[in-house]
Amino acid sequence: MADTDTALRYASAALGYRGRAVLTDVDFALRGGRTLALVGPNGAGKSTLIKSVLGLAEVVGGAVTVLGRPVAQARGLAAYVPQVDSLDADFPVSAADVVLMGRYRRIGWWRPTGRADRQAALAALDRVGLADRARVRFGLLSGGQRQRVLVARAIAAESRLLLLDEPLNGVDATSQAAILRALGELTAAGAALLISTHDLGLAARIADQVCLLNGRQWAAGTPAEVLTGELLRRAYGGHAVDLPDGRTVLVEP
Amino acid sequence: MRWAIAEAVLAGALAGLIGVHVVLRRLSFFTMALTHATFPGVVAAAIIGVHIYLGGALAGVLVACGVAALSRRRGQDAAAATGVILSAGFALGVGLVATQNGFSRDLSSFLVGSILTVGPQDVTVTAVVLGVVAVVLAVGGRSFVFAGFDPTGARAAGYRLGLVDLTLLVTIELVIVTVVPAVGTILALALIVAPAAAARLWSDRLAVITALSVGFGVASGLAGLLLSGRYDIAAGAAITLVAAAILVLSLAATRIPRPAVAA
Amino acid sequence: MFEAPFMVRAFAELALLALICGPVSVFVFARRLSFVADALTHTVFPGVVIGFAAAGAEGIFGGALVAGVLTAVALTLLTRAGLLSDDAATAVVLTAMFSVGVALVSRRSSYTSDLTTFLFGRILTVTPRQLAETAVLAVVILALVAVGARAWIFRAFDPTGSAAAGFRTTWLDLWLNLVVALVVVAAVRAVGTVLVIALLVVPAAAARTVTDRLPAMAALGTVLTLLAGYAGLWVSWTASIDYGVRLTSATAVVLILVLAYAVLLPVGRLRAKTVGRAKTVGQAR
Repeated sequence: MADTDTALRYASAALGYRGRAVLTDVDFALRGGRTLALVGPNGAGKSTLIKSVLGLAEVVGGAVTVLGRPVAQARGLAAYVPQVDSLDADFPVSAADVVLMGRYRRIGWWRPTGRADRQAALAALDRVGLADRARVRFGLLSGGQRQRVLVARAIAAESRLLLLDEPLNGVDATSQAAILRALGELTAAGAALLISTHDLGLAARIADQVCLLNGRQWAAGTPAEVLTGELLRRAYGGHAVDLPDGRTVLVEP
Repeated sequence: MRWAIAEAVLAGALAGLIGVHVVLRRLSFFTMALTHATFPGVVAAAIIGVHIYLGGALAGVLVACGVAALSRRRGQDAAAATGVILSAGFALGVGLVATQNGFSRDLSSFLVGSILTVGPQDVTVTAVVLGVVAVVLAVGGRSFVFAGFDPTGARAAGYRLGLVDLTLLVTIELVIVTVVPAVGTILALALIVAPAAAARLWSDRLAVITALSVGFGVASGLAGLLLSGRYDIAAGAAITLVAAAILVLSLAATRIPRPAVAA
Repeated sequence: MFEAPFMVRAFAELALLALICGPVSVFVFARRLSFVADALTHTVFPGVVIGFAAAGAEGIFGGALVAGVLTAVALTLLTRAGLLSDDAATAVVLTAMFSVGVALVSRRSSYTSDLTTFLFGRILTVTPRQLAETAVLAVVILALVAVGARAWIFRAFDPTGSAAAGFRTTWLDLWLNLVVALVVVAAVRAVGTVLVIALLVVPAAAARTVTDRLPAMAALGTVLTLLAGYAGLWVSWTASIDYGVRLTSATAVVLILVLAYAVLLPVGRLRAKTVGRAKTVGQAR
């Protein structure tokens, strides 16, 4: 019973590249309708973990299951929301075109997009409040709007698992609110969200589970269990850390 | 002359079609290197006695795969590797030509082509390839755009990036192998890049850009031939200069009045 | 082979070019100017044609220089203004200018021998005077490089930082483009475009596979070019004298240089595996 409901499971996994592990001891289960935040300092392995779901990082040890299947057979099942800066702003694609890309997997690469797909794309744009910008070139939108379009793309993909890489980085307040609202609607409908973030306050606010990483998994559990001063100090080493209650501390090893 | 006109129209359309993707994914240098790397294959085919289109195609596929492998590297290494391939291909091709007679003629033909001497066979090949490439782009164009715009996202959506990139490469190579023997490298590069770059200035929508690019390509071919006949200048040069002129005019027309146009 | 004085001169010319192109190719590598360098080998052609028409053999250098400068300026401006992508702009300038040259030349009955010389140069007929001219140019170019090196490296590594520190990036880019143009102009007459583009690209690319320190790349690049120059001359000499195969020296030198690159590639990869890091040489932008 639990397995059909588990969107993502890591069982004592070690992840890395070219046979060498850069992130070890990853162990958690993410069920539908829940949000899991990956936190940790730069270089901790957050993007490696996300890449492992996408098949861009190797599973060197242990097992990873995505939506009930071994990760090697799960290409294209999860929807991915990258950071906007990684995209070429000059491309002649409109906001609607970008959102439509989320539908390609369902349509297959050779069939033309149909009316239903275009309507789904518009509906997704509406969910993030950008239906009126559908025809605008992606590169002409503001950073926050572009991030919203990428979230809409993930919505249009109608996947049970979404992976978000620092989705609120440098995003204006209006767009943040729109994105958080859309994410809330997604979890209410049963989708599972995996969000990597350096913002511990955000993690505390929206996540059901937190996974603390730095070279290895230091802890996984509820925000209250994981985001404690003691654990954070040990995991972060000598970095500055924003604690959920609003204080910032400089942590020394 | 009839055949030259037909070839100019078809080559212009073909180059315009693939040019959109070359310009979008910033593959102009790459395309130049491909023309230089295909050159030895064509020469070797001519020396051995194999049909040049066949020899060129074979060399082309080899080259495309080799270049794809070398270009998996990042930034500086990719640019340098492309440069090495260009140098090597050119030197090899030129060296092969030098061991034969009719040396200079073949070299000129490689660089500037001889569109006025194309025959029905060349035109037929170009027409067929135009059809093939049109189909490839109609079916796969979307994949090329997605993979170019957001490689990781495309990967996440299940696309095999290696395959998509290789397909694009082979398609470009197919165009090169078809067009270069007839019109030469310089003109081939000009027809592939200039009309598409001009088209990009006029619109943000891929369908419109493609249509304009084909239109500009065909117009360059026809106008170039006309000017070449009227003023007695090399046909290839005339066509290239018309294509460049269209680009310059497009730059002037779209960028300068910008302040007057509402956002 | 070196009993023949023209071979000695040919090697001397190559040695001077090796000295120039070792360092310059490093900057071509770091700033990703391979396409610009290739473009320049084509865009000097109309300059050569016009110069020759205006002032005979003496006018070639001047004509090429003007064309080279024009190209450098046009490319710098076009890419700065951001109207076209770098590579589209370069492709169009390359083809347009070359076509101007072809158009001019095509009004004459036969231009194929001009083209041949342009492609291959005449390294086996380098005169002592041309050698001296190259030596002077080598001094000038190396001086320009020495003055600009630090700024170019800073700009390559950190475009915003260097701009913030007061370096005018447009002028820096123009300066480097002009230096590359000068190298092309200086070398094209002697060794032709086939060899010039290879000398500007391959040495640094080959050196990069085994080192990531810029001075080492320049030194290794020069050494490789010297070796390839010697070997290339020897191979083409032997091929033509002993086997009757017409193999031009330019072709032989280029192919040996590329061979060096191909050999060093796996060596470098092996080394990288053991060292375990991959560094980018002065971050490219």
